[in-house]
Parts: sequence; structure tokens; C-alpha cells
Amino acid sequence: MDLQLGQAAIDDMILAVDESATNVIVHGYQGRPSSIEIEVAREGDSLVVRIRDRAPPFDPTTHPPPDLTLPLEQRRYGGLGIHLTRECTDAMLYRATPDGANELTLLRKAY
Amino acid sequence: MNTSVRQVQGRVPVAVLGVQGDLDASNYQDLIATATEVYGAGTKDILLDLTNTSFVSSSGLVAIHSIAILAQGEPLPEQDAGWGALRAIRQGLGTGVQEHVKLLSPQPKVVSTLEKTGMVEFFEIHTDLDTAVASF
Repeated sequence: MDLQLGQAAIDDMILAVDESATNVIVHGYQGRPSSIEIEVAREGDSLVVRIRDRAPPFDPTTHPPPDLTLPLEQRRYGGLGIHLTRECTDAMLYRATPDGANELTLLRKAY
Repeated sequence: MNTSVRQVQGRVPVAVLGVQGDLDASNYQDLIATATEVYGAGTKDILLDLTNTSFVSSSGLVAIHSIAILAQGEPLPEQDAGWGALRAIRQGLGTGVQEHVKLLSPQPKVVSTLEKTGMVEFFEIHTDLDTAVASF
């Protein structure tokens, strides 16, 4: 399926999906064997990726942004995954599905 | 990811850590372990060669961050403290660009990741090995 995407869109979305999926695996499922469903589509001018999981409910869109003004020595290790997801996408939308799954939708202009 | 280590002599000995492939949640701890070994063996200046690093995620940034703190002579947080391990605020510590860890030729999308997180401010980025080694 040719989604006709610009390289920047591809690179950004790969990073955003990697960050989101990693968070589900590490923090949601805490490493337990489980599944994540990823749906990729082109909707109008946007690349849309939906990520569904059955980890405990978690809405990453409410996660506070990190303080990027801190010097390196005062920064916590990690905690940048959701920030990078926001930075790499035009929109990040969360919903709890009727059957109890987490669904994160990421949108980014396709070019 | 594959890591290579070689020692180069400039004004001071520099360990050049080459990172080939993706640096992400699956392997960032390996890079930290390699750097810890290098530092423990006595080399205090580290050049991360990112020429062939195709991808760096936030986990990769944890590795780079950790290596920078290590190179300051500070202990790393307990690994089992988890990703939310907070570092105690240290008073009177020099801030800004790191003296003992520098980056060589990161690819544009890796630079973009560093920029999006403000991490780019903390590291000299060189595009030439000899210049990078001489800068320590």
C-alpha cells in the first residue's frame, strides 16, 4: 500500500510509534507478554496511526511536559517518550474503547 | 545495535564508541554498560560516533544522558529504580556543554531528536573525527 508519504512524516511517525509502543510495553504491560494492535492509514492529508492495547487505562495526553530548561545534571533520566510523541505529531488523541482497551491515535501531515 | 570501541590519542586519550544501528529501548543499557567499562578502564573522554546510528529513541537519549553523567565521575542511578529515577539536585555543579562526552556525525533525524528534547544544547557535535578528538 503506497501511502505517498514524505520522508519527514515517515521518520517522525516511526519515532512516535516507537515511543508510544515502548511505553505500553514497559509501563503498561510491564514487560508481560501481551499484544499491541497498530493500524496505519492515510486519511486526507494526514498519516493516521492508531495504537490499541489492553494494559491498565492510561491517557498519555494528560502527561505533563518535561522541563527542558533544566541543565543536564538536574534532569531526570527518561520521561521524554510522550514529549517526543507530541513533538513528532500534529495531534495525539486518546480514548478508552467500549471494550476497555486504550486507543491512542497519532496524526501527522503526510508530507 | 552493534557497538565498537577504539582508543584514539589526541591531547588526551579518547575512547571512540561507534554505535551501529538503532539505539532504543531494546539495547540502550548495552551502550551504557560499554561506556561504563571504558570509563572504568581509565579513559575519561568519550566520543560517541553516531555516523551509522540510524535511529535514537528516548531510551537512546537515556544512554547518552547516562554516559555524560558517568563521564563527570558521578554514579549512575540504580537500574532497578526504573525509568523514573530522579537524580538529586546537585548544587554548584557546572552546567551546559559537556566536556567529556561529545558526538560525531549524528544523522539529521538523530539531531532532530536531540533538538526536540533540548539535549542538543549539552553536546558538542563534530563532523570530523580528528577535529572531534582534538577538541578534548
